[in-house]
Amino acid sequence: MTTTRTISIPHLGRVEGHGGIFVKVVDQTVSEVNMDIHEGSRYYEALLVGKHFLEVQGIITRVCAICSANHTVTALQALESALGIPQSPRVHTLRGLMLQGAAIESHALHVFALALPDFLGFDSVMTMAAKYPDEVAAALRLKQLGNKVQALIGGRAVHPINTLVGGFGKVPSHRDLERLRGELAAGIDVAMSFVRLAATIPGPDFAARPTVFVALRPYDDRYRFRGNSICTSTGEEVPVASYRDIVREFTVEHSHAKHSALASGSTYQVGSLARLALWGDRLEGRAREAFQMLLPNGVVDNVLYNNWAQLVEIVFGLEAGVEACDELLGMDEVAREQAEYTVRAGRGVSATEVPRGTLFHEYEIDDDGLVLAANVITPTAQNLANTERDLRHATERLLAAGGVNDAQLRLNLEMIARAYDPCISCSVHVVRVN
Amino acid sequence: MTNQTRPKVGIFGLTSCAGDQLQILNCEDELLRLVGRIDIVDWVMAKSGNDHTCRLDIAFVEGVVATERDLETLRQVRARTSFLVALGTCAVWGGLPAMRNDLPREVLEREVFSKVVDHLDTVEARPATDFVPVEYRLPGCPIERHEFLQLVDSLLAGTVPELPAVPVCFECKTRENLCRVIYFDDVCCGAMTRGGCGARCPSHGVACAGCRGPIEEPNYDANVQMFAARGITWREIATRMSNFSAPVWMTYGLRSEAHHDDH
Repeated sequence: MTTTRTISIPHLGRVEGHGGIFVKVVDQTVSEVNMDIHEGSRYYEALLVGKHFLEVQGIITRVCAICSANHTVTALQALESALGIPQSPRVHTLRGLMLQGAAIESHALHVFALALPDFLGFDSVMTMAAKYPDEVAAALRLKQLGNKVQALIGGRAVHPINTLVGGFGKVPSHRDLERLRGELAAGIDVAMSFVRLAATIPGPDFAARPTVFVALRPYDDRYRFRGNSICTSTGEEVPVASYRDIVREFTVEHSHAKHSALASGSTYQVGSLARLALWGDRLEGRAREAFQMLLPNGVVDNVLYNNWAQLVEIVFGLEAGVEACDELLGMDEVAREQAEYTVRAGRGVSATEVPRGTLFHEYEIDDDGLVLAANVITPTAQNLANTERDLRHATERLLAAGGVNDAQLRLNLEMIARAYDPCISCSVHVVRVN
Repeated sequence: MTNQTRPKVGIFGLTSCAGDQLQILNCEDELLRLVGRIDIVDWVMAKSGNDHTCRLDIAFVEGVVATERDLETLRQVRARTSFLVALGTCAVWGGLPAMRNDLPREVLEREVFSKVVDHLDTVEARPATDFVPVEYRLPGCPIERHEFLQLVDSLLAGTVPELPAVPVCFECKTRENLCRVIYFDDVCCGAMTRGGCGARCPSHGVACAGCRGPIEEPNYDANVQMFAARGITWREIATRMSNFSAPVWMTYGLRSEAHHDDH
């Protein structure tokens, strides 16, 4: 006689966007594992066709709110690459600072408000705040600090407006940068106190599975969020402009988002844990200390540790933010910065490391500066296939151990999906019918 | 207040970027104060253990209806809610996802969507307010935090706030910015767009894109004539004005003028 057991989580809570998990077990064998993505499609890339390149940022940033600064920087860099506009040191540093602000905000939101309640037995950060008011308030202040960085540089925390092709509408004043520097520096100790707290929480091993990690090689010899080639933990490396050679997208029936695999067919993981796996040995200062405390034996193949990897990157982001402020304070104070350029036809690709992993943007524009084609590949879309592998493996492992009830299984599967910090709005913008 | 008297609140996202829900989370300190006064019982983005069926005193809905599932969610929320708020420009006007719905395609499709227009016809994104009646419309892309907090405080006090009746252009003047139209020949939507943002974009040296949606009775035609008189092409005027809430921005006048320009 055949026994069938299904685990269905129609609305995955505490993630951005609409998704669910469906697992079917027949006679103790996992027969089906779907990460269902049912957010509607918005056809952003098609909306861009025919728009002037100066309008691209304001449109593409709205693929996703949490990732708006990241889409902004990546889009602008890709457009500048198409137009042959070099980045001035000021623009490069301001954008780097904005990426760190976005990472601090996004990581703090995910680690403290979305993931941590699972580990401490709460259903939300709001109920957690009733028991740990001071800790939650401090965590939210870190998140707020990330927003302040984005607001100062981008003009507002969500959907930046100050960010232009070739420059900035308004360059932050030295007075504002000095104040921000002080707040970032003061945040480091706060973040380290959470690192010490997290180091006491045991990491469950039900999600452990050999994993291929992918991240950009930093543009210099330090830990960076920008770079010019894509590296895998299996030793492959290709230039960013050839991203289509390494990232293979394919569609699956149960998802409005495409899935990705490497050309070899292997699924892979992008994000904080992947960056630490590939470049964590380059961390310096307190971030290095945080890395050693949370992952004393280095990165392990267990996505649940992505939560702690994000915590390490909060410390890194604060330190990198202080450094960026110092660089900017060492430059002349100007009101506005705008590179001179001539409009020409071209194609440009840019990739950045953003909170959830590697983000790719590609644009092709014509002689009048109108967009002919656009392509965006988000980290969440790249992680989906790997998430399903992890869910399958964990289900098999938990069933083999025996005695696991549906509620426990459901919670553990949710924890895996949440650890990837999926950004479902991002993942579905991209479905194109061609 | 006890749990019994705190109003039950739900927060929902249809197809969207989740930016308005993120702005609620971005209220940080204020959010912790708020949860003492309202009982958030259904908010998938921020909590698990949600009650998807109970009666709601207040519900906030963000996003556009782009799938059958969205419509079903919206109708269910409407049916269980006393005071429903359309949250953000997508829910109120359609926002960017609705951009293509009312583009004067017969005029622009050859240039704009020549290769892909067949596929675009398959999905039409429309604002929540097209499908159900709502008690309040809070625009913004994303919403302004202070306007959200003001709305919640007002609802708790048994009233509703009035949105600014002035356009972004008015707020821009009070900030003494150089006009983006007169000095820079930009297509600036500030004179047609509802204020409340403090003219954030022109204050950063960037033209208003109209993200808060139109003010009451905007004079589109006068604006269009003004842009055209400065030598800006009809095509550019049309694409820039249509970024947000295309159904409202695109007047018949602009459409027919764009048609003339095209021939």
